Amino acid sequence: MRACEEAVHAAGVREGMSINAALALVPGLHALARDARRERQLLEAVAQRGVRFTPRVSLEPPDGVLLDVRGSLRLFGGARRLCLRLQQELLEAVGVSVHFAITPSPLAALWFARTGPLGAHPVLVRNRDELASRLALLPLDCTRWPERCIETLGNMGVRTVGDCLRLPRDGFARRFGQELLATLDRATGRLQEPRAAYVASERFAARRDLEPEIADTARLGLALAPLLEELCQFLRERGRGVQAIEVQLRHRAAPVTRVRLRFVQPVGAQPRHMAQLLRERLAQLVLPQPVRNVRLLSGPLIDLQADAIELFAHDRRESGGNLPQLVERLRARLGNDAVHGLACVPEHRPEAAWRAVEPVAAKPRSRKKPSSRSAAPNESSPSVPRPLRGKSSAARPGEGRPLWLLDRPEPCDVDRLVLEEGPECIESGWWDGHDVARDYYVARNAQGARLWVFRNRRETAAGARWFLHGWFA
Amino acid sequence: MSVSVEQLLQQNAARLWRAREAGSSAAVPAGLPTGYAALDRCLPGAGWPRQGLIEILSDQRGIGELRLLLPALAALCRDEGAAGEGYPPPRPDHAGSAHVGSAHVGSAQPPHNRGSGGWIAWVSPPYRPYAPSLAAWGIDVGRVLVVNGAGATEWAMDQALRSESCSAVLGWSNPRDLHALRRLQLAAEASRSLAVLYRPLQAGLTPSPAVLRLALLGGGAEGLQVRIVKSRGGRPATVNLGH
Repeated sequence: MRACEEAVHAAGVREGMSINAALALVPGLHALARDARRERQLLEAVAQRGVRFTPRVSLEPPDGVLLDVRGSLRLFGGARRLCLRLQQELLEAVGVSVHFAITPSPLAALWFARTGPLGAHPVLVRNRDELASRLALLPLDCTRWPERCIETLGNMGVRTVGDCLRLPRDGFARRFGQELLATLDRATGRLQEPRAAYVASERFAARRDLEPEIADTARLGLALAPLLEELCQFLRERGRGVQAIEVQLRHRAAPVTRVRLRFVQPVGAQPRHMAQLLRERLAQLVLPQPVRNVRLLSGPLIDLQADAIELFAHDRRESGGNLPQLVERLRARLGNDAVHGLACVPEHRPEAAWRAVEPVAAKPRSRKKPSSRSAAPNESSPSVPRPLRGKSSAARPGEGRPLWLLDRPEPCDVDRLVLEEGPECIESGWWDGHDVARDYYVARNAQGARLWVFRNRRETAAGARWFLHGWFA
Repeated sequence: MSVSVEQLLQQNAARLWRAREAGSSAAVPAGLPTGYAALDRCLPGAGWPRQGLIEILSDQRGIGELRLLLPALAALCRDEGAAGEGYPPPRPDHAGSAHVGSAHVGSAQPPHNRGSGGWIAWVSPPYRPYAPSLAAWGIDVGRVLVVNGAGATEWAMDQALRSESCSAVLGWSNPRDLHALRRLQLAAEASRSLAVLYRPLQAGLTPSPAVLRLALLGGGAEGLQVRIVKSRGGRPATVNLGH
């Protein structure tokens, strides 16, 4: 027997009785099996309401929810008003009445709540000094200590918390264990007690029936606006954001049309931003049938980072702060290899003088002014020794190099080109098997484009001797 | 009723918008100087528009389609401390270098407008952007992001623009439907990044919501020709940038 209605209680049924004993007292008793899952759900439903009053909520299964309301008291006009409002919301939304207790220590609040009156009249203990004396009157049941201990204590004539507190500490600890003594200390506030915060795993879901049905996507956007507004209100209350939302469009017969929006970064309460993105997506949509009702579902709620607010958007770009998310998003769709950064490599062979690197946001660079034109303009790139050169006019690494490089040099017909500069001889790489011996020229074709071509100094199997390697774009 | 058109125009001067005068109007926000004085003179904000999509239409490679942008990109890479300095002239590594933009050194820009430290995203470039050469142009290669967008170029550009982590986003694609372009234009308008889309010349025949469209023609003795096809607040013109 866990709990019973008042009428049954009046007949003498008590908590902890066996079901047969209870049936003997109340023959027509309607017994329900305990459902731990639903108990937990109920507790979470209460906690979710609690989140509206304070961000610090902790679950105390099976029947307790702790709210740290110290910071919210003033906002809600004091402890009693807060309790009234919370009770009202709980009745409306969850349909439960709860015991309230507000005390300086969380454990004491639990103990008081277990014994206190039902409804919105809280047990109120404002000062820590009062705590021990107020706790003293509580029966030991409220501590939910092991049955055996409470029985032993009862045999000793210790029936209230106060009796317990009067016992010598060391003797109590020896007899009942350090743990029990610690709970006493926590209740009286001698020991601090960290609690696991309850993190709501909630999502938003709302629907709206459309009467008459809507067949055009522009009006659909308008019909969704109130739902978005609701979602944003929901997010605002929680101070959180979503990374994805889904809109389900239900038709008379055709399967549900789903529109999923994913955001690069968690989006808080920004109805206009969402509406705009949604409009874009809806505009692409071809509806199989008119829409009868719409649903708006959110993905899991995500904590908003402080900088997700657009106030300092510029500063964030300065540091490239959003880059990791951007890279993540791009890779999610395009594949891991599709996104990379660049780095220079000190190497004479053109194709080896760069490499793809992981795009990592560099530290903010010093604000040193470039001293002169001859200084390397790019402090963060490795210095590159000069390549072997022929008559090239290049004065710096990278000068005289094309902006576009072909991954594989393409055979080309040099007869149609005018060689303008060169040759620049590059002969290198004997140590890794990819040695090259090339004469590079800057050439111009009939269309006026500038090309980077080379001639192999050695005979190659392919036969072709001239290759296009880049464009001076 | 024998009022001449001229008279009417003068009576209503305050209420009339005249395309010819737009170039000098203060309504167009200052752009990012291109580094080419001749081109700056023809652009309404005396430079690349900072908001909105820029289209560069070109069929040929190697005629200077990147050189056109590089001075501005290099400026974006430089520190704020250098903001008042203006541009070094384009790299004189080949004879007949482009017109030097010394007349325009970014004086109009408040320093905080420069997105120094932002990334430069290259989305679906036709070839490898060659790091040593970029570095020689003053581009911080450590801040270059190369994305192979394979079929999703507009989407990737859109993401890059919206993420606000890039000071410039360049893309190579030819979106077929106007919608994709409009979306890009919206993203470019909302973002502070320089947004450039490279498309084939043929695309110039179809309308586009871009704020600036340039057609590039190489060849000939006079080198790179830039034809301004569309310019919001400006007017069509042809600029010769030399080799």
